[in-house]
Amino acid sequence: MALYDMSPEAIMEQLPLTEPVLLILLSLADEPRHGYSILKDIERMSDGRVLLSTGTLYGALRRLLEDKWIERFAEQESSRGRQAYRLTSHGRRNLQLEITRMKHLTRLASLRVATKES
Amino acid sequence: MFTLYRKLLVLYPAQHREQFGEEMADVFRQAEQSRVGLIARGRFYLKELAGILQGILREHLRILVGGDAALSLYTRRFTMHNGFRFPKTTAVLMTVILAGVVLAIHKGEVIATSLPPFSQPVTPIHPAHSYLLPGVVAGFLFFYAVGLAGWVILFALRRSGVHRLDEMSTERK
Repeated sequence: MALYDMSPEAIMEQLPLTEPVLLILLSLADEPRHGYSILKDIERMSDGRVLLSTGTLYGALRRLLEDKWIERFAEQESSRGRQAYRLTSHGRRNLQLEITRMKHLTRLASLRVATKES
Repeated sequence: MFTLYRKLLVLYPAQHREQFGEEMADVFRQAEQSRVGLIARGRFYLKELAGILQGILREHLRILVGGDAALSLYTRRFTMHNGFRFPKTTAVLMTVILAGVVLAIHKGEVIATSLPPFSQPVTPIHPAHSYLLPGVVAGFLFFYAVGLAGWVILFALRRSGVHRLDEMSTERK
């Protein structure tokens, strides 16, 4: 598969996402963030259950950058030229697709469980 | 610990290190400072060590294999839970081995700087033909490789869903 293949088949091939990747994308959906801010936000979102290591975080960020789901830029407020990350339109669309897929799955699961219980 | 972390960063492939090395060190330092207490800090260090070792392995394999096909971020995509995590024992063993490598490099640097200028030829005091240490290392590496191969086979079997066959036959009864 090409690195930046935007066809629906190519996108669906990459879904579902793993929990760390999904949380990284959700963290960036809100606003652009730098590495440490992503870690803290994920910790907060998951009530302390998901604690990513820097190795895991930057492995995921590298892959997402390569696939053009996110982009990197130098923060203007930071005097040290700290790097921050934000979702691309391609990444946002894929995240939306994943959320839709999950909604469908949970709806289906609820229906099945309800049928079984009744 | 920060020094060790920086030394471990050197083990990443050059491209990854140049792109993210400084940033990773910066994030590590900030996260380290936010952990208060001995236990919290200890857990943080263990998690970071396992994470960075997995990262180093993944990035090198990605270059060797030529893509994320075998080691993609999406390997656990059907589970959404932590069942297929890299075995902790393997991560601990890799930590020990890599710590040994880092220490050996460090020790080598110390010896190199403390040696007198190379004016006279250095001759060995006695011929050293000990096979004990290389033998132990080779044996360890062999058993480690066998263990890793076993884990890969089990992982592949589990991914293929073989373990569900038992459940299917139980359901039929």
